[in-house]
Amino acid sequence: MSINRARAGVAGLVIALGSLLGPDSGAYAHEIVGNRFFPATLGIDDPGVNDELSLPTFDSFKTGDVPPVRQRDVSGEFSKRITEDFAISFGSTYTFLGPIDPTVPGANGFQNLETTFKYRVFKDPVHEFVMSVGLNVEWGGTGSQSVGADPFNTYTPTIYFGKGFGDLPDTVSWLRPVAITGQVGYAIPGRNFTTTFGIDPDTGASTADTEFHPRVLNWGGTIQYSMPYLKSSVIDLGLPDFINHLVPLVEATLQTPVANTLTSGTTTTGTINPGVIWVGNKFQIAAEALIPINRQSGTNVGFIAQLHLYLDDIDPRGIGKPIFGGPVQPASPFARN
Amino acid sequence: MPVFLLLVSGQAWAHAMLDHAEPRVGNKVASPPREVTLTFTQKLEPAFSSVTVTGPSGQRVDAGKARVSGNQMSVPLKGAGAGTYHVNWHVLSVDTHTTDGSFTFQVGP
Repeated sequence: MSINRARAGVAGLVIALGSLLGPDSGAYAHEIVGNRFFPATLGIDDPGVNDELSLPTFDSFKTGDVPPVRQRDVSGEFSKRITEDFAISFGSTYTFLGPIDPTVPGANGFQNLETTFKYRVFKDPVHEFVMSVGLNVEWGGTGSQSVGADPFNTYTPTIYFGKGFGDLPDTVSWLRPVAITGQVGYAIPGRNFTTTFGIDPDTGASTADTEFHPRVLNWGGTIQYSMPYLKSSVIDLGLPDFINHLVPLVEATLQTPVANTLTSGTTTTGTINPGVIWVGNKFQIAAEALIPINRQSGTNVGFIAQLHLYLDDIDPRGIGKPIFGGPVQPASPFARN
Repeated sequence: MPVFLLLVSGQAWAHAMLDHAEPRVGNKVASPPREVTLTFTQKLEPAFSSVTVTGPSGQRVDAGKARVSGNQMSVPLKGAGAGTYHVNWHVLSVDTHTTDGSFTFQVGP
């Protein structure tokens, strides 16, 4: 899923920008590059492709609308490799909107279905670097407009990257467990504007309101410190096993309208998400806080949590392998230094 | 749900990641060890799993073929004195996933 998840709002309450943007409740891939294991992150997509299932992802926060709305989302995403380097994922989110103002009715419903096509273009195990490109399509009209789903498609071409710092010199070996990931996407709505016709209740005159749908730069990143990496590649400190499975991290998910912004404005919105991931052999569990960067991004600190299953590890000879292409290449005598 | 059944059944395998090693990763031992033993999170395919060790001067100090038993892989070492030893491993788990990695340990007082 893309990070330009429409922040749903109750009709009549949503300010223009707040109705467009918000934190993602998506579910993302994990990746192994040399010594580095990139876990699936909650706010932005990680740089690789794999077979996996995120179910469920749950988030709760108050929107930046005036007055604010309590939004809760339950979402899931299934990602399937077609080849070793190409995957397609399908995501869906159900949204519950609960207005803070008791006189305003709430709303429930599905967001638009999303499909992401993603191709890993480069992988350098020695330098723990990986890069992918993708296209996310939000299928307009498949969700409920009462929770903010758009009636038109949105296309978001995106670049993803990840870099582990395992190649740092011995003098700063304690920084080797650090990794960064990032993504930059450009969301292009399939419709430039929507005009709503009505009648002014005071004068009886007909009215026409036009909302322009902006093109939005979806960008973000993570910085993470891998305790599994520390133990297996830098120094085994004899810490408790639970600690050795943790990856503390901070994510940033940001959205900046950059074109067709007549009614949306150009204010960047988003959240900073500190949290932690517990990584197991076949699944991971993650939880993060959602800290809005400004008033337009939210009115309190929310949270997001996720169970993420590594299908390639759970069922490596079945659903967890690419549809086309042979099994993983057998090991050959290696010559890494 | 079938996925959860697979998850808890223990019948499926996963990527083989290094769980721990002896000598321990990044630690110091007083004298050169006779062998290095790596313990992984999953069982290994012996024919496609290997480990090399280089000593303080950069020369290979692993002596002979690595022995693989279950989720453990060991290789005997030739003595090479004090300093930093580099261990590089590359394994194939029984589910056909390949993984590799490296670490160091120190020998000295």
